[in-house]
Amino acid sequence: MSNSNISAMGLIFPNSYDKMVPELVLQRLMASIPFASRYRLIDFILSSMVNSGIDNITILVKKNYHSLMDHLGSGREWDLTRKNGGLTIMPPFADRESTHVYADRVEALAGILPFLREQKEEYAIISDCNMIANIDFKPILAKHVESGADVTMMYSSKLISDYDLQREPERGEFYYTLEVDGDKVEDIKVNSKAPGINQVSMNMYIIKRTKLISLIEEGYVRGKVYFERDILLDKLDELDIRGYEYTGYTALISNVKTYFSESMALLDEKNAKALFGDNNIYTKIRDDNPTRYTKDSKVSNVTAADGCVIEGHVENSILFRGVKIGKGAVVKNCILMQDTVVEAGANMEYVIADKDVLVTSGANVHGSDIFPMLIPKRKTV
Amino acid sequence: MEKEMIAMLLAGGQGSRLYALTDKLAKPAVPFGGKYRIIDFPLSNCVNSGIDTVGILTQYQPLVLNEYIGNGQPWDLDRLYGGVHVLPPYQKASGSDWYKGTANAICQNISFIDRYNPKYVIILSGDQICKQDYSEMLAFHKAKHAEFSVAVMEVPWEEASRFGLMVADENDKITEFQEKPKNPKSNLASMGIYIFNWDILKKYLLEDEEDPNSENDFGNNIIPNLLRDNRDMYAYHFSGYWKDVGTISSLWEANMEVLDPENSGIDLFDENWKIYSRNSGYPGHHIAAGASVIDSMITDGCNVYGTVNHSILFGGVTVESGAYVEDAVIMNNTVIKSGAKVCHCIVAEGAVIESNAVVGAMPDGQTDGVATIASGVTVGAGATVGPNAMVREDVKEGQNHE
Repeated sequence: MSNSNISAMGLIFPNSYDKMVPELVLQRLMASIPFASRYRLIDFILSSMVNSGIDNITILVKKNYHSLMDHLGSGREWDLTRKNGGLTIMPPFADRESTHVYADRVEALAGILPFLREQKEEYAIISDCNMIANIDFKPILAKHVESGADVTMMYSSKLISDYDLQREPERGEFYYTLEVDGDKVEDIKVNSKAPGINQVSMNMYIIKRTKLISLIEEGYVRGKVYFERDILLDKLDELDIRGYEYTGYTALISNVKTYFSESMALLDEKNAKALFGDNNIYTKIRDDNPTRYTKDSKVSNVTAADGCVIEGHVENSILFRGVKIGKGAVVKNCILMQDTVVEAGANMEYVIADKDVLVTSGANVHGSDIFPMLIPKRKTV
Repeated sequence: MEKEMIAMLLAGGQGSRLYALTDKLAKPAVPFGGKYRIIDFPLSNCVNSGIDTVGILTQYQPLVLNEYIGNGQPWDLDRLYGGVHVLPPYQKASGSDWYKGTANAICQNISFIDRYNPKYVIILSGDQICKQDYSEMLAFHKAKHAEFSVAVMEVPWEEASRFGLMVADENDKITEFQEKPKNPKSNLASMGIYIFNWDILKKYLLEDEEDPNSENDFGNNIIPNLLRDNRDMYAYHFSGYWKDVGTISSLWEANMEVLDPENSGIDLFDENWKIYSRNSGYPGHHIAAGASVIDSMITDGCNVYGTVNHSILFGGVTVESGAYVEDAVIMNNTVIKSGAKVCHCIVAEGAVIESNAVVGAMPDGQTDGVATIASGVTVGAGATVGPNAMVREDVKEGQNHE
C-alpha cells in the first residue's frame, strides 16, 4: 500500500471516443463496453486508481450513461463507498434554457468548477476509459511531484494504425502523439500522419488541482473546447509539461476492429498475465455459478467467465458471463457478450455478439478477421 | 422494533470427520462447489427466504470464517438494523465459558436475540448443502399453531437407524423422538433445522441451563423436554436436495453431484434461488489450446493446459499441460504440474502436486476411497498418494504415502 503522502483525486471521462465505436455504444458509452470476459472498460482505470490509493473519484458522464450507473452502483465493488470522497457521478450541467450538453473536457470541467474547488486533494489524475491498463499511479505521481512539472502526460509507445491515420477532426476525432526530449514534452501533435511507432498520449494527465482549476477558468471564458489541443498545446511554451512513458501492457480501443484485436490478444496468456498481474481488477459482481462444461463440450484456447454452460465446440473465443452454447454448435474466433445463447447446431465465426443475443439452431453467421460481424444487443439471428 | 423471525446458525463444530480439511478452519468455511463455502448455502437461503438477521455461532478455528463473513455484504446481509453477526463465546462478569453444546450456544446469546424481539427463531446448522425456502416452513409452523417445528426428510427405512428420527401422527404432530434407534418407528430424519416460538425456546433454554446433568444439546435435551411437556411440535416435510457434508466421502460425493444437476437435484444455475458467495476477484478462466475439459465446472482465475474430466476446479487453479485430473475436487490456487495424475480425491487450497506425482485411486482401480490432500501441502515429483490417504504434510519426491 501507499506510504506516500501525495494526495490525488481521479477525474474520469467515460464518453470520450464514443463516436469511434458507434456499433458498440448504441445503448451504452465507451466506459461500459464489455471487455475481457467479465469486465467493462471503466473497471481498469477505476481499479488502477483504487489500487494506487486514490479514493476520491469523479466520473463526468455526458450521455447514454444508464448502463454505467447500473454497473457502478454505489461504487462498493471498487471499495469506493466512502464517507469522504468515494465515487461521484457528475451528470452534465445543461444550460438553463437549452438542452445543450458540453462539447468536450474544458466545458465539462468548467461545469464542475465549484466541486473541484471544494476538494482537498492536492493533485488530480485525469483519464479516459478506452486505454486499458493496470497502472500503479504511485510512482508516476511521485515522479510528477519530484519533477515540479505543471502537467505530466502519460504516453505509451504504440503503432499508429491505418485507421487512426483517417480520423475526422471536424467530428472531434483527435488523438495526440508526443515529441519528448528526456522527459520534457517538446511538441504535441494532433492526428499525426507519421506511421509506425509513436509516443501515443494515453490521455492520462497529472496536474495540481488548483492549476487545473485556473487553466479551466481561463480556457472556458476564451471558448476553448479541447483540453489537449486548445490548452496544453497552446501553452506548451508557458507550462512545464513532462511526458511519462508507461511501459506496462496497454490495449487501446479506438474502433470495432481494435476492440476485436485487443480482445483476442488477451487469449495469449503472456498478454493476460501482463495486464492482470498481481493487482485485482474489480467489477460488478453477478453471483454466477462456475462455468459448466458438459460431456459433449470441446474447447480450445477459450477465455470464459462464470455462469456459462458449454455443450458445443468453442475455439479461440471469449465468452462473457452467462453464455450458453448448445450441443453441436461451433463457435470460432468469436466474442460472445453476457447471456448470449447459441443454440444447438449453430455455426459462428468472427462474430461479436452483444449482450443477450440469440443465435438460433442451425444458423450460420460469419464475419472475417479484418471485419468481424457485430450482432447488436438483444437481437435474434 | 421487532423482527418476525431471525436465524441462529450453529457454526462452531470442529467437523472432525473432515480431518485434514478442518485442521485450520471451521466446517462451515470448507470450500464447496467451485466457488462457494458450505455456509453460503444457509446464508443464501436466509436472505432468499426474507430473513435479514442472522447470528452465526462460532467457536472452533473461527478466523477464516470471520474474515469470510465480514460485514455480510456478499449475501446482502449488511443491514442498518439486523444483518449478519458473528457471535463467538465471550467473557461475562461471571461464569464465562465456551459453548458447551448447541443449546448452550444459543442460551449464551439470549440477549442478542432479545434485541430483535422476534416472534420466531430458526436454528440452522452450517454443515449442510441444501436449497430451502425457510418462509414456507414458517408458514407451516404458523398454520399448525406450532410451538416447535423441525424439518424432516424421508430416508430409506434400512438407513433410518443412522439418524435422529421424528415419529409423527397423520397431522404431522410429533409424538416421539428417537435418536439413532436400533428399531426405528419412523423414517423421518431430522435435518437439524428448527423453528421455535422465541418465548418457548427461551423458557426451555433457561430451564436446561439449570440442569447440571444436561448436555445442553437440542437433540438430547431440549427436544426431549418439549416432548415431555406435550408441547405443540410438528414435523415439516422437506423433499428437495439435502446433503450432510460432514465426512470426506459425503463432501466429495456432493461435489460430484453438482456436476450432474439433471439427475442429482442440486442445481446451482437457478436464477430464482441464487447462492451467493464472496468474490475471488480473479479474471475469467482460460482453457488453452491443447487442453481437454469435459463434464466439469471451472471458475475464475483457472488456467487449464492439461486434461480435466468430471472434476471441479476452484478459483485460481492451474492444471499444467500433460497433467490429468479426473473425479477430483481441486480447491483454490492449487497447482497441478505436468504429467501428474490426480484422481478421485479432494485437494485443498494452495497445494502443489509436482510433476508426475500420482494422487488417489486411478479410474481402473478397485477401491472407491477418496484421497485427501490438506491445504498448502506439496506432493513431490513422482510421489504416490494412495486412494484412502489423508495427507497433512509434504510428501517427498518419489515417496509413497498410503
